[in-house]
Amino acid sequence: MSEREGAKARGRGVIAGLLTALRRVAGMPDYAAYVEHLRRCHPERPVPGEREYFESFTRARYGDGPTRCC
Amino acid sequence: MLSKLAWLGLALAGTVAWGVLALHRGETISAAWLVLAAVGTYLIGFRFYSRFLADRVFQLNDRRATPAERLANGRDYVPTSRWVLFGHHFAAIAGAGPLVGPVLAAQFGYLPGTIWIVFGVVLAGAVQDFIILFASMRRDGKSLGQMAKEETGPVTGILAMVAVLAIMVILLAVLALVVVNALKDSPWGVFTILCTIPIAILMGFWMKVWRPGRTLEASAAGIALLLAALVAGRYVAASPVLAPLFTWSGTTIAYAVIAYGFVASVLPVWMLLCPRDYLSTFMKVGTILLLALGILLVLPPLRMPAITRFVDGTGPVFAGKLFPFAFITIACGAISGFHALVASGTTPKMLTRESDARLIGYGGMLMESFVAVMAMCAAALLDPGIYFAINAPLTSLGGTAESAAEVIRQWGFTVSPGQLTALAQEVGEKTLLGRAGGAPSLAVGMAQILSGAFGQGLMALWYHFAIMFEALFILTTVDTGTRVGRFMLQELAGHVWEPLGRTSWYPSTILASAAVVAGWGYFLVQGVLDPLGGINSLWPLFGISNQLLAAVALCVGTTILVKAGKARYTWVTLLPLAWVLMVTLTAGWQKVFADDPRLGFLAHAALVADQLASGAVEPGRAARLIFNDRLDAVVAMVFMLVTVLVVVASAREWILVLTRRRPAVVKETPFVETAYV
Repeated sequence: MSEREGAKARGRGVIAGLLTALRRVAGMPDYAAYVEHLRRCHPERPVPGEREYFESFTRARYGDGPTRCC
Repeated sequence: MLSKLAWLGLALAGTVAWGVLALHRGETISAAWLVLAAVGTYLIGFRFYSRFLADRVFQLNDRRATPAERLANGRDYVPTSRWVLFGHHFAAIAGAGPLVGPVLAAQFGYLPGTIWIVFGVVLAGAVQDFIILFASMRRDGKSLGQMAKEETGPVTGILAMVAVLAIMVILLAVLALVVVNALKDSPWGVFTILCTIPIAILMGFWMKVWRPGRTLEASAAGIALLLAALVAGRYVAASPVLAPLFTWSGTTIAYAVIAYGFVASVLPVWMLLCPRDYLSTFMKVGTILLLALGILLVLPPLRMPAITRFVDGTGPVFAGKLFPFAFITIACGAISGFHALVASGTTPKMLTRESDARLIGYGGMLMESFVAVMAMCAAALLDPGIYFAINAPLTSLGGTAESAAEVIRQWGFTVSPGQLTALAQEVGEKTLLGRAGGAPSLAVGMAQILSGAFGQGLMALWYHFAIMFEALFILTTVDTGTRVGRFMLQELAGHVWEPLGRTSWYPSTILASAAVVAGWGYFLVQGVLDPLGGINSLWPLFGISNQLLAAVALCVGTTILVKAGKARYTWVTLLPLAWVLMVTLTAGWQKVFADDPRLGFLAHAALVADQLASGAVEPGRAARLIFNDRLDAVVAMVFMLVTVLVVVASAREWILVLTRRRPAVVKETPFVETAYV
């Protein structure tokens, strides 16, 4: 990999990190992190599609206690 | 050595700023002193007091695996880096409370409110958030209600749950009332807020159907559309055809908000509730950052006196003396029981290391308090005459700019009718008189700051931007709150008849949603029809309920300390608990029993009864007013009773443990060594 490509990859990494941070701050689902988690901890389980994950995440998040304050 | 010098310098800067605030009476001073005093105090509090809590009292241990690590599931239990989690937690706890409370409390002048906001947070509010976050983190992220049940017994647990539900009803009503007062007879505002509904639905379909999971993309599009709607609102308000369509009375808006709350609670979350939540979170965090930047750039002079004559309890915005009502009115900026629900909700499941809880629990609340200080600055930079014209009830101001100017002159502040009309025109409204609730005066203050910093001549746009941002996230609290209330009610009803407890059973969903909406809707409509503007009676009721929930949270925190064998440190929760109880029970008592009909619910009911007897009010109206007064009195008494019961039950537990009649065992999850380096 040339130096320039390396810098580009790092730049992409920074942007991806920023986007993940934005998602976490707003309490949004993070599909990539979920897939990564499944692969590491439960390799035997099937990986759900992005839509399925989004639905189950939303259900869980707004399912119980208050998420927002006064 | 160098760092010690830096801390000494900081302490000095904070002290000097407080000194300047204390000594400059009767002349305008710069908001810079307020900001400096607050930030200096926060940093000292964070560096020393929160470290004491973390190291000595809670003994946070980074060798101990957090729930996020042990129970990682990639969904709610997710280890998150601490600054990101700080942002997440802050976005969840910050709402209308810290913005509206200080604006209302500015009727006493800027100093009393600021002192309570800053010292209250360091010694009480941040301690509460921190201890609940800590306790929940040690219990796999359990909720406040569950912890109360496990540590103090089932009765306390149920009382805590009832308290939460009751508080939710009052909270939603009063927040919705703030929106109603900001939007009534404002076609620009109504149009912009109405647009948020189709925008949210569009985002919902984008994220679920068209491009699944692309939440950020959809949010960016949503924000762009929202800003377009904001700009378009100006043309709607100027159009002779469209403007009347969007000019709604307070009652119409109230029923619209009630209908919206019901629909949002029944619809699938992805369609309306979740996209609106994203939209409002980004708008909220973005605007708060913008406001902070604006204040730092402009450093406006504070025109409001440090202390006004209304500390004697004759204030027009709300009744009651400085003590206890300044402390009730500030609500969330200094201590907020509601935070205990968030600190025992999503946040504890995302902590990577135990020590992160200090920055997030304690530091997050300091940030919230800073928002309250900014709101205080925004209110205090207004001409006092204008502040009172916006916030006093219309009945005391009379209907016109002339009558309002005359009334305000009698209160000792000068404002000309021309000034009032010109300001209304400048922000693109017909009138700003009698818009109690804090949002409009905050919006005027914010508009002055933001147009000063980022574009002169855009006052109207900034004003409506501020109104839109507040209404947006208040309505988000209303819809998520209604939904949570619905779940709680379904859980309770499930004990009576099992099918009612099934959250996926449609009839039960509809019934429970309708019941919750009817609950807060009743108080909302009561507030809209109230001749004094509703905020007068409902905001103190909300402040009382929120602080009483804080008392419940502090009781749970104390119980946990006692059971952990740390009784010698319980003063960290007992002192704020004693203060909060003293303030809140005094305020509650006065709201119910005070002889002044402006203050006491029962005295007001008696006054209306007299007026009825002399024929000054018509019977139907009198009956309604009397019923509402009595209802408010009962609600306040129930709040006080529930809290006293929780305190007594907790104190009994403490004594049993301290006298060794009950084993001192906490129900923490057992220690597991972390795998993180």
